[in-house]
Amino acid sequence: MTVYQTEAPIPELRSRLIRPLISFALCIVVVAILALYAPSFFKLNNIINILVQTSTLAVMAVGMAIVMIGGGIDLSLPFNAALSAVLGAMYMRTTGDPAGGLAVMIITAIAIGAFNGIAVGYFRMIPFVVTLAMMTVANGAAVWLTNSISIADIPDAFVDPFFRRYLGIPLSVYIAVVVSLFAILLSSITVYGRWLYAVGINSKAARVARIPDRKVIALSYVIAGLMAGIAAIMLTGRLASASANLASPTIVLDVVSACVVGGISVYGGSGKIHGAIFGALFMTLLNNALNAAEVTIYVNQIVRGAIIVAFVAFDRFAARGIAR
Amino acid sequence: MTAPYLRMHAISKHFPGVAALKRADLEAYRGEAMALMGANGAGKSTLMHVLGGIVSKDEGEIIVDGRQRDFHSPIESLEEGVGFVYQELNSLPSMTIAENIFADGFPQRYGRIDFQACEGKTREILQRLGSQLNPRATVEALNTGDRQLIEIARALRRNPKILIFDEPTSSLSQRERQRLFDVIAGLKRDGVAIIYITHFVDEIFAVCERVTVMRNGKTVFKGQIDQVTSQEIVHEMMGTVENESRLAPDQKKQSHIVLEIDQLSRADELQSISLSLREGEIVGIWGLLGSGRTELIRAMIGLDPIDHGRLRWRGQDGTLVEIAPESLHALSGIVTEDRRGEGVFLPLSTSENIILPNIRAIANRVGIVDRGKQKKIARDMIRRLGIKVTSEDQTVATLSGGNQQKVVFGRSLASSPRLFLLDEPTRGLDVGAKTEILKLILDLAAAGAAIVLVSSELEELMRICDRYLVMSRGRIVAELPGAASKRDLLAAISTRRATPEARQ
Repeated sequence: MTVYQTEAPIPELRSRLIRPLISFALCIVVVAILALYAPSFFKLNNIINILVQTSTLAVMAVGMAIVMIGGGIDLSLPFNAALSAVLGAMYMRTTGDPAGGLAVMIITAIAIGAFNGIAVGYFRMIPFVVTLAMMTVANGAAVWLTNSISIADIPDAFVDPFFRRYLGIPLSVYIAVVVSLFAILLSSITVYGRWLYAVGINSKAARVARIPDRKVIALSYVIAGLMAGIAAIMLTGRLASASANLASPTIVLDVVSACVVGGISVYGGSGKIHGAIFGALFMTLLNNALNAAEVTIYVNQIVRGAIIVAFVAFDRFAARGIAR
Repeated sequence: MTAPYLRMHAISKHFPGVAALKRADLEAYRGEAMALMGANGAGKSTLMHVLGGIVSKDEGEIIVDGRQRDFHSPIESLEEGVGFVYQELNSLPSMTIAENIFADGFPQRYGRIDFQACEGKTREILQRLGSQLNPRATVEALNTGDRQLIEIARALRRNPKILIFDEPTSSLSQRERQRLFDVIAGLKRDGVAIIYITHFVDEIFAVCERVTVMRNGKTVFKGQIDQVTSQEIVHEMMGTVENESRLAPDQKKQSHIVLEIDQLSRADELQSISLSLREGEIVGIWGLLGSGRTELIRAMIGLDPIDHGRLRWRGQDGTLVEIAPESLHALSGIVTEDRRGEGVFLPLSTSENIILPNIRAIANRVGIVDRGKQKKIARDMIRRLGIKVTSEDQTVATLSGGNQQKVVFGRSLASSPRLFLLDEPTRGLDVGAKTEILKLILDLAAAGAAIVLVSSELEELMRICDRYLVMSRGRIVAELPGAASKRDLLAAISTRRATPEARQ
């Protein structure tokens, strides 16, 4: 009965070092491309621009990261944001009430998140299928409601704050920073954060350890919904309009890429929120670099797709040996 | 006496850090079934994997039909006529019987699958097994017994000369079992050499001519079945229980009843289990693998749903109140048998692991964890249990098995439960670590907790239990006092019972 003994320490050091090194090398490549093709890129104004572009992606990546840490995935997140934005905008078009519009966006997004959460957490449905279906539903609803026409009559009170700068920095960046801090704290110092990682590492063991696994998983999708709602507000405010086109499969891929590049494991239970935020920054820089290098949109897509596959592959090698 | 058809001689196999086989021997004869017995980790599976070409041996020889063989891959072994009927049913549920049987090599004609030939041959094989199943029926429509038959049919397709059954009856009903025995009898008439692995001692007398017992990677007994008793076999499986002295004298407890279980049943696994536990009492659940001991613990705390039965728990006021298994879960300290799969969270630190089930108790109203308290509790626990770590921040994945298990104990201790359910708490630990865990269990009992201890190692139970409940096929078949001798305990599980149902 001694066959099981001597559990060797896991060679985690190697995988822990490889990923940051590769991320760092990739960053250098991206920055080098930018320096080569677009020297004006490093002007202050452009950098602020990049931060604004990053902010919505980062907020969505935070939501995605929380779901992924718990072992799931939410493909509907950007489409949830688009539908919420459209509904909020329609509400404001009718009533002219910016606060109400804001509330509609948040509530819609949380409701969609809760639906995903109940389906995955309580009914044990496969996250991929549930959220893929939800993505189609949300997109269909948004197109149907708007007839693919963008809604532009957003009240000034809603839009103005997004066009102003506070201490030289636009509102979107502040929102992203606050959301990021909230999520970092949630994941690192709260009971919920610990439960989330535990469930993502091993949901069977989590049940034995008296963790309310269903609730934990369901709540992760609700939080992702909340993030979609915040992203909806940011997008509507910045563009002074809302439309079904706010979301696209490319954006879903960007959000997942941000997480994966940032070290969030697709197998759940590992990775840090701040990683996903840097991942969002990286994806934005990459996009800009590829544009500056005048790469066609198709090559751009190939490069971004390849990066996500590469990082998932690293993830796989890292996961090997560590029990699921 | 004729020469054995298969002879495995002095087979050794080392895995990193472990000697899985130490000069193990085995012989099988045509037209006979040979029972291969052994407790968990005895090396049966490894030996069969060597025969199946799945694992390569380090030393020793395999002689089939008088010629020396060396199997480097499953295919070589298959071509030599070795067939397996696995314990888990590996069927493809939505495909037909014929498709299942030919899944690893469809007969083809003009590049298309020749379904006619498939079905014809399937019918032939099924007839050989005495079955009238339609080859076109899908497997998902079949019951467990028939599915098992399909597994056998799959192996028979290649006309194996040696057929290995790995615990074939663990999920079969009594009648299905009988049919399986008939099928095996038929195979023996056809001259197949059968190796029959099981944990059920009573079965081997019904089907086998010979028996080989393994323990700790060695063959410890070989003989003809009519020359041994079931007690002798169990004795060989368990080894000489070294009369290591008890760690504490057994006591007949007169204390309060903490938990009463009434007629607990679950599907085919548990049949009307009733028992009661007293404060400070260590109750050993003694039974072979598959007797329902793990299932009992899982059902008690709601990890598996139950069909019938009630639990009553002693409340604050001293009366027994009905309690749901899920609530009992929250009140008891639990160690599951699968430490890595259901116990520790490998990537997390020692302190995080220890605090996890009780983390709410050290968080403030908004749910922020008090790290200072976490550290303190973890350090207390590390000191109290003597967990060997460099600091409480060390990742559990890097701890030894014994220390990981102490972490699992530590998790429960923080809430001082009055009931502990321990399923193989010392599995895979070395002798020193085992004793430490046993002493810890004694301490918990001395402090007033009721303890249910499941172990495959009799020696271990005999060192600390106050009372034994003997399980077999999902029932409690006997209760023995702590003073019971090894002979009594072995006899209790090796009693031959042709039909367990008849006891009722």
